[in-house]
Amino acid sequence: MADFLANYSIQKWLESCPQGYLEDTVFGHGPDEREPDDLLKNESYREQQIRTTVQLIAGERCALAASSGLVNAAPDQASKTFLATQTLDEGRHVEIFTQRLYDLGIKPDDLESTIKTYINPHLGKFAEVLLEKVDKKDFVAGVVGQNIVLEGMAFSVFEMLHTGALETNPKFAHTLSGTIADERRHVGFGENRIGELIRRYPERKADVQRMQRDMTKHMLATFHEAFSRSPAVADTVAPSGRKSNATYQGLKLAEASNEEMESALSATVLGEFKTRLGRIGLEYQSPV
Amino acid sequence: MSDESNPHEFGEADFRSTVHSFEFWFEAVEGYLHGRPYGVSAATKEAELTERQRQALITTLCNYCVGETAALDASSGMIGFAPDRHAKIFLATQVVDEGRHLEVLLHRMAQLGVAAPEAEIEKRANRSLLKFKDRLLEFVDARDWEASIFAQNVILECLEFTVFRHHAGTADPVTAEMLRGIVSDERRHMGFGENDLGRRLIAAPHTHDRLYKIKRELDTLVLDTFSEALGELGVPHAERPDLEGDYLAAVARLGFRS
Amino acid sequence: MNDPLETARRAPERRPRQSFELEETGFNEVPKRFRKFYRRWRGPKDKLAPNEALCPVCKVVIRSTKELRAGDRVYCMPCMSRLELVEENGVLLAKVIY
Repeated sequence: MADFLANYSIQKWLESCPQGYLEDTVFGHGPDEREPDDLLKNESYREQQIRTTVQLIAGERCALAASSGLVNAAPDQASKTFLATQTLDEGRHVEIFTQRLYDLGIKPDDLESTIKTYINPHLGKFAEVLLEKVDKKDFVAGVVGQNIVLEGMAFSVFEMLHTGALETNPKFAHTLSGTIADERRHVGFGENRIGELIRRYPERKADVQRMQRDMTKHMLATFHEAFSRSPAVADTVAPSGRKSNATYQGLKLAEASNEEMESALSATVLGEFKTRLGRIGLEYQSPV
Repeated sequence: MSDESNPHEFGEADFRSTVHSFEFWFEAVEGYLHGRPYGVSAATKEAELTERQRQALITTLCNYCVGETAALDASSGMIGFAPDRHAKIFLATQVVDEGRHLEVLLHRMAQLGVAAPEAEIEKRANRSLLKFKDRLLEFVDARDWEASIFAQNVILECLEFTVFRHHAGTADPVTAEMLRGIVSDERRHMGFGENDLGRRLIAAPHTHDRLYKIKRELDTLVLDTFSEALGELGVPHAERPDLEGDYLAAVARLGFRS
Repeated sequence: MNDPLETARRAPERRPRQSFELEETGFNEVPKRFRKFYRRWRGPKDKLAPNEALCPVCKVVIRSTKELRAGDRVYCMPCMSRLELVEENGVLLAKVIY
């Protein structure tokens, strides 16, 4: 375990993240990259992007609260230092997505009211389940909830948004690619560290699986609400005739219906959950 | 803002949102950590230490680890009840700073031949510092922002800032370079604490009496720790740095009598 | 009639402020574009220039492109403090403004 955790040191993090893929970026993107003009001029498209970005901020705020809360509960020094880097990663994500809201025209004084207006209520419930475990300093459940469930969900959502933005909004795609790189470390740590703890404390399985089931239920409700509120393909493809050729899980994003998108995203995330949970010795619990 | 690179021309809101950001932290630490794995550049060579010097240094580093672990646990715990987004993001940068300090100190102990650092820390830790740590974490568990920021970012950081700065001036080259990097971080932490608390005391003067009681309670622990730390470093009384000067000046700026 | 003491006291205010071209000092604790506005303090014997002030919080020397005078506001980025210059016993000091 000592060698594995050495890969998650702050020194490694400094070299790979601030001095690696984030070097020469400003708020996670190139200094000259801007939100596309056609997005800023199209009110309904801009509103969709604001709505999407609000969900990202809410998710990242939850991740910041959870990862910082878990530092204190970590049973060893190496896990504490990894979680310290994750805390800063999550803080950075909150900052860059907040900055994106400003870039989309939200005034700093209107930040909280904008979040309140657009936040998906199911996402709040999803966060509550996780933060309850963190408040109780339950390290095993907290890391599964945060680094497997929340991060696993974020990873797939970011990938889908990244695929959609790659051709039409390079600035947002660039921002997302840095967060995806961060999430890779987080899910890697979750799997590796918790796999070992679950083997050591098998009696924790039932409780942790119950939490996973509850979080999954709220996650699916979040997806459902998000897609039912969106005009078709609004979050991933620019308006004004610039048709993207992007495909996600075999779906052509420019042509997919909302039901197809929701179904593709849910299937991808649940598939990931099953695989990851299986690797650490837990059995995926379906909420339905 | 007429010149974006002249900090003195910033408006107050611009200044605060600039310095309490990941971007600021990232470009700041880049300046003094780039090319210095574990806080030390490859060109810095080890000096030969006598066994007595090595043992004294290990004891000192063990105590630094206690302080940094306290700061890591406290700063991470405080994010959950920080009053605003800027404070949360600043604390997230502080969490990684504290984690890095702990990591470089443990790395230095390994270089000095310590195989089981946790056991050494347990054995050599200063009792007053351990008590201080417990008290700090009680404030954090109670989600008491004013007491936590006072105990951690004013008192503990001021103690560390003074001791590390002095120690960097007398230590072997590797330890000195590592400590200088830590001091550069401590400037941010200490300044954040003093400024946040200063603003809060102006807005809510009644907080003053409560914090004054906390200060009186913690003073003994801080000054005992300081005295013991300098004793371990072999600094004669006459040559000891003025912690009381630094610490008391900081609390005096916040309006606390001694 | 001019009071010579008053004239002497007001004289510095009438004198135009000196300007300073700032160069890099090796200070590396803030983002690159701000570094020339700060330098390390060399201890109590360090003589400050007319465009410099010592931050009482973190002991870094703050530098300005113009001569500093009482009432000026400066920022210490390394410790994130806002400071105002005040004159005490003929000496210019930086005080933290919370």
